[in-house]
Amino acid sequence: MTMTIATTIDEILSGLSQGARPIAGGTDLVVGSRQGKGTLPEHLIAIDRVSELAHIEVGAETTRIGSGVTHATLMTDPTIVASFTGVSDAAALVGSPATRNVGTIGGNVMNGSPAMDTGAPLVVLGAQAELASTSATRLVDLDELWVGPGRTSAADDELCTALVIPNRPESSGSAYVRLEYRRAMEIAIVGAAAAVTLDGDAISSVRVALTAVAPTIISVGGLDAVVGQPADEAALAAVSEASSEQAAPISDLRASDRYRRHMIGVMARRAVEAAARRASGETISVPVNRALGVGAQS
Amino acid sequence: MAVTNLPEFIRADGPDKVTGSGRYTADMTLTGQLVAKFKYGEVSHGRITKLDVEAARAIPGVFAVLTAADVPDVRYSYGLADRTLFATDIIRFEGEIVAAVAAIDADVAQQALDAIVLEVDVLEPITDLHAAIADGSPLVHEAIDTYEVTGDTPHSGNIATHSSISMGDAEAAMATADTVVTSRYLADASHATPIEPRAVIAQWEGDKVTVWTSTQVPFDARAGVCETLELPTSKVRIIAPHLGGGFGGKCGAHFEPHIAALARAAKRPVKLVFSRWEEFIAPDRRREAMIIDVTTGVDADGKIVARTGEILLDNGAYMADSSFFAQAAAMHVAGPYVIPAVHIDAKLVYTNHQPSGSVRAPTAPQGCWAIESHTDEIAKAIGMDALEFRRKNIVTSGSTGCVGQTYDEIGLDQCLDMAAASAGWGQDLPDGEALGISVGWWPSFAAPAGAYAKLHGDGTVQVITGASECGTGSVMTLRMLAADEIGIDETAVELIYQDTGAAPAGPGSSGSQTLFNHGRAVEKASRMVADQVKELAAAQLEANVSDIVLDNGTASVAGSPAISIPIVELAGASETGEILGSAAADAIEWPEITGSTCLGEQGFSSWLAPQFSCHVARVRVDADTGVTRVLEVHAVHDSGTILNPVAAHGQVEGGVMMGVGQALTEGTRYDDQGNQLNAGLLEYKLQTIADAPKITTQFVEIFTDNAGPRGAKGLAEAPNVATCGAVNNAITNATGVRIRQLPMTAERVWEAINDSEAAS
Ligand SMILES: Cc1cc2nc3c(=O)[nH]c(=O)nc-3n(C[C@H](O)[C@H](O)[C@H](O)COP(=O)(O)OP(=O)(O)OC[C@H]3O[C@@H](n4cnc5c(N)ncnc54)[C@H](O)[C@@H]3O)c2cc1C
Repeated sequence: MTMTIATTIDEILSGLSQGARPIAGGTDLVVGSRQGKGTLPEHLIAIDRVSELAHIEVGAETTRIGSGVTHATLMTDPTIVASFTGVSDAAALVGSPATRNVGTIGGNVMNGSPAMDTGAPLVVLGAQAELASTSATRLVDLDELWVGPGRTSAADDELCTALVIPNRPESSGSAYVRLEYRRAMEIAIVGAAAAVTLDGDAISSVRVALTAVAPTIISVGGLDAVVGQPADEAALAAVSEASSEQAAPISDLRASDRYRRHMIGVMARRAVEAAARRASGETISVPVNRALGVGAQS
Repeated sequence: MAVTNLPEFIRADGPDKVTGSGRYTADMTLTGQLVAKFKYGEVSHGRITKLDVEAARAIPGVFAVLTAADVPDVRYSYGLADRTLFATDIIRFEGEIVAAVAAIDADVAQQALDAIVLEVDVLEPITDLHAAIADGSPLVHEAIDTYEVTGDTPHSGNIATHSSISMGDAEAAMATADTVVTSRYLADASHATPIEPRAVIAQWEGDKVTVWTSTQVPFDARAGVCETLELPTSKVRIIAPHLGGGFGGKCGAHFEPHIAALARAAKRPVKLVFSRWEEFIAPDRRREAMIIDVTTGVDADGKIVARTGEILLDNGAYMADSSFFAQAAAMHVAGPYVIPAVHIDAKLVYTNHQPSGSVRAPTAPQGCWAIESHTDEIAKAIGMDALEFRRKNIVTSGSTGCVGQTYDEIGLDQCLDMAAASAGWGQDLPDGEALGISVGWWPSFAAPAGAYAKLHGDGTVQVITGASECGTGSVMTLRMLAADEIGIDETAVELIYQDTGAAPAGPGSSGSQTLFNHGRAVEKASRMVADQVKELAAAQLEANVSDIVLDNGTASVAGSPAISIPIVELAGASETGEILGSAAADAIEWPEITGSTCLGEQGFSSWLAPQFSCHVARVRVDADTGVTRVLEVHAVHDSGTILNPVAAHGQVEGGVMMGVGQALTEGTRYDDQGNQLNAGLLEYKLQTIADAPKITTQFVEIFTDNAGPRGAKGLAEAPNVATCGAVNNAITNATGVRIRQLPMTAERVWEAINDSEAAS
């Protein structure tokens, strides 16, 4: 086995073209192999010291979050907290301080787990993954990137260099909430992200995506009925019902399908409510889970 | 005996542990050491039809493969000798060891395991407690009637032991009650879950073996090796390096005999380190599941007149150290109440689950949770405040409890009032929040323990003790006692401990006994040293021995501090250049009990120096999800004199956190074959520091006679008793629904709320 520590993106790309696997924080890759989810790859290329991957750049149309940006940065970076708050909500819930200090958004997205926390907020914010290889660079929609649990459509020699998010219109807000049984070292039992834009009191656009309820992160469809309505009890009930209906929850150790289905509705409702309040200018501190409580206020 | 001002608490092992320079068993490496791995039965119940290890033995790099055929044919366990080191014909739980290998590295050891041919006829697992005790149930141990029995262990069929507490005519008294409340509670099994997984290294030199192991009780580990490998005591030395937690789970011998046998066969040192999965499935120390049925009658004034109950405890496949559990559980279901007529039957039932054994206050958190929940149900039924009802019915100084034991001065009533006051009982709280109260109790144990103390010529002291430090800090309190007796600074006292080759025997770190028993021995041995110092000083200062005072490193004459001599000079001037003391703790008499009959007297009816507690929990329940958060716990304990306040607070805080985990998230799940489903730290959810409530601790300090040093009682297990009950009562007060299964997971709480909404 070899491990190469890259210092430039070119070094990474050439390593990948020769069959190496990238390792960022290693919090999925190494822990997974220790748990027997697969042996470590023969050749690893460490990408965590490539500073170009760790930048957040705000452009005219889009914001580019480097794949090497850690959860610890995402939960505190003023741009992300102000404009893409749902991503900060999610990053703040990941593992423990140690996990957040080394775990990256690129690793989270490319690991492709349906329980990944940054996935749903990235989806509702319309993010795309920027994939680069020695031959080309392309932008891929996230619903095309994730093809199954732990599987992506990226080629083996492609590096995720960034997540690219369209800048948000005025009066927009986003939020992510998840059901958790304890306040650290938890895995999403179900989670929901919402992005809301308001026109006065009325919802002018709303997107909801769900974590850990299907083989990949899923978007909730059929929310058109609430557009034009205020984010009131009726609208929240409609979102909650649509979300519960569209999920395909399973029964396992963590929860029964019945409980999960109800919780999906609760999480979706809370996500939309928090996103709408943020869209209206209210500050709800990150993460929403602690600020509003999923039984878990501080 | 006076309680003196002991010096500030300093943990000698603290810097080692915090900086990482401390060495745990798994950190050790011996030259030539081999890697051990176990072959497990893998099914929870089966008959071995073929076991062939020849192919495994033939693999290059494999030094030894052992099965039952390669070790003495010895059956062991406390109470009922029901097990062997390796499965012989029947596999009785998934973690049962069938064979053990020692190989050059982990990969080769794994190859050897894979090469072992094990064929098993799978048998129907016995997992349901009621079915297991029904007539005609298949037996976990077909040959149970041939097993050697020790102590009072009445057994039959799948009932490993049976115990009953019976006082007065409970049925007749129940008939006189104005209100009768009946409840059923179920508790899932749980685990001790020390962060350090078990590790063992054995090395032979000639016919002597040294075993380094993560045990809480080195002397029990030694006894286990000697018994199963038929070795004399003097040939076995057990050393426990730093211990990374035990919580009861590392009491007794566990895998030391297997590794000692492997090392002997391999002619090399052999090392075992458990994976987290093994740590969950293989040890014979799991907190037992319980089914508790209880009925209580109260009169018009709200006084308890009678209680009856039946308790079934899941013993799992083997006895481990569970032979007293039936009686312990019955005591908790009776509770620290004045109950004139009581009849409680408790049965410890064999199943094909992992064996149950000591985990911090065995049977208590579940028993207390059930009875304290039941107590709130009674109070509600008669429309009385839960605090008021307890005030009326708990045991106080001079009252007689459920087995006819009359208590000396005890402080449960003060615990109750102080905890309630601390929590603001009766105050208005925000929606979704509420307080819940629970009282609890736990005995102290007297056991033989010895100690040596040496005052060196340079003025330093070595205390050699059989005590073990499993994280509580109480071993460090032994330094304080020695320093105080000899009149020197505690930093001049060095401890030698966790080594059977050096110290006199003792109960190690088990049963809250470190200070209680080892403390008394250390105090006595140190006093022998002090007495000799005083004699030397008296001669030199031309004073009476009885007038000599040892303090601050000097010996002086009482009333004339100016006439003094440094202790270091006296030590150096002694005939041998050092002053020796050795002592065994005095025997303690157990309190008398009257008027109670007890089937299965397992040493748990009369409670020596009983410890009392009251915990009040403040919770917030998110009704939409059932997620419960414990915001505050107000804990007040009567553990007699508190010698070491810093360590005592640490014990209570740790016990409360463990209780919160048992209350909310920690429970073992089984598949229908009796195999654990959540044998890992992701799915078996411990509490994290982020979940910790604000814990407010107070002590009711009552000097207790016939107890530990200077009037102290135990304090390691007691803090783990009352939290679950307080949390359940708070959940009910917050939601109006009652949770009847432990742990009270978010889903269970949500189900209860949802079902009650659906019903109304
Ligand atoms: C204790 C613990 C708690 C956790 N809690 C959570 C949680 O609450 N929520 C959550 O979502 N996750 C959690 N995780 C999972 C993990 O921490 C996150 O998914 C993290 O974001 C992974 O990032 P990483 O940099 O460590 O990825 P790595 O482990 O380095 O990589 C993960 C995978 O992505 C690939 N990869 C990494 N970077 C790139 C890239 N730039 N381009 C292409 N492929 C790439 C790797 O080859 C590997 O296959 C937890 C993990 C641990 C150990």
